[in-house]
Amino acid sequence: MNETDAPIDPVVVRHRALERYATTALRAGRMMMESGASVSVVHRGITMIAKGFGAETVGLRSGYASIAMTLHAEGNTITRMLQVGRLGVNHRLDLAVRALCSRAARENMSVEAVEAELDRLARETPRHSAWLTALAVGLACASFGRLLGIDWAAFGPVWAAGAVGQYLRHHLMHRGVNVFLVAGAIAFIAATLGGLGAWLLGSATTQLAMMASILLLVPGVPSTNAQTDIMDGYPTMGSARAVWVLMVMIFASVGVWCAQVLLGMGG
Amino acid sequence: MELLPHLAHQALFGALAAAGFGVLFNFGLRALPWCAAAGALALAVRTLGQDMAWSLEGATFAAAMVTSCAVSFLHRRLGPACNAVALAGCIPMVPGAFLGQALLGLFALTVPNAPEPSALLTDAAISMIRVIFTLGAIGAGLAIPAQLLKNQDF
Repeated sequence: MNETDAPIDPVVVRHRALERYATTALRAGRMMMESGASVSVVHRGITMIAKGFGAETVGLRSGYASIAMTLHAEGNTITRMLQVGRLGVNHRLDLAVRALCSRAARENMSVEAVEAELDRLARETPRHSAWLTALAVGLACASFGRLLGIDWAAFGPVWAAGAVGQYLRHHLMHRGVNVFLVAGAIAFIAATLGGLGAWLLGSATTQLAMMASILLLVPGVPSTNAQTDIMDGYPTMGSARAVWVLMVMIFASVGVWCAQVLLGMGG
Repeated sequence: MELLPHLAHQALFGALAAAGFGVLFNFGLRALPWCAAAGALALAVRTLGQDMAWSLEGATFAAAMVTSCAVSFLHRRLGPACNAVALAGCIPMVPGAFLGQALLGLFALTVPNAPEPSALLTDAAISMIRVIFTLGAIGAGLAIPAQLLKNQDF
């Protein structure tokens, strides 16, 4: 009797099915996590998909860079872990995956259908173009600046500096450059451009303009997610997010400090 | 008499900042006006609070609460996006500049023979404390109505 003629162990078959359920549900969780969802939302989404597949009990643990899951169904149990990539914010993808989780739970979708839908969402969910995002973020920085008290002479330079900073950040992140180094470099470039432009146009608020130019780097969503995670009972993840936020701001502040030294404006 | 122009200014730039960050966060074009409206509301409430001599942290808490409540009432229209819209509206209140100033103040302490180090340390500590409490105010202000009104995430 050769290998192919050997009887297939039903336990192995059930384990393989469970493994596919776990991998698919974890993949949905990873997409939500990488799109800016809080841990409790990610866990509920994964559980909805797994239960839709027929899992009886679901155990989950999320770290900053991975999600682990234990599934139990029909007397079999399996534990699997999936690595999570860089945590960003992508509202449309996050919402689309949440809708898929609801559908999978409501309609008991097959694992193949959920996998195909996740592939489609990853491929087809639209994103704003890099240039539009750069212009919008530049305008947001300039608006932040007005809220902080920059004068009108500094408004244009801060807009331009924020837009250039966002455009460069987009390309550096796509090249896989370390996020903290990107924060430091972009802070230096944006603060220098914003400060120099404001000074050349006779602004009386050059220091504020330099600070406003780097506000695109302030991780607002991760900082509120850190609190949400702690309030929801996930202090480990919340603390990890808070440390990440602090590190980004330390690198950004070093960039501003270097720009201030370069322009002879303190430091 | 100067309250209204100031209020309009803060609301306008709060709206622009929230919408700008909405684009960065990849909100759809239909959701962006809601982000702008949430930003305008948040900044208007915070400005009113500060004009009534509330602290920045207290006014920020009130603004986040009001914004979160307002989007909760629009839940039927916005669906699961309502919490994200409230968050985008509160982004202009995130005290990034305070945090930067606190860290730059700490850097200044490391300069050899820093002038008035105790004043530098006090300023940096005050900025850092304000950052922590303001972020806490935003987080609590957003979370409390969402929890009490049981906003659906799915």
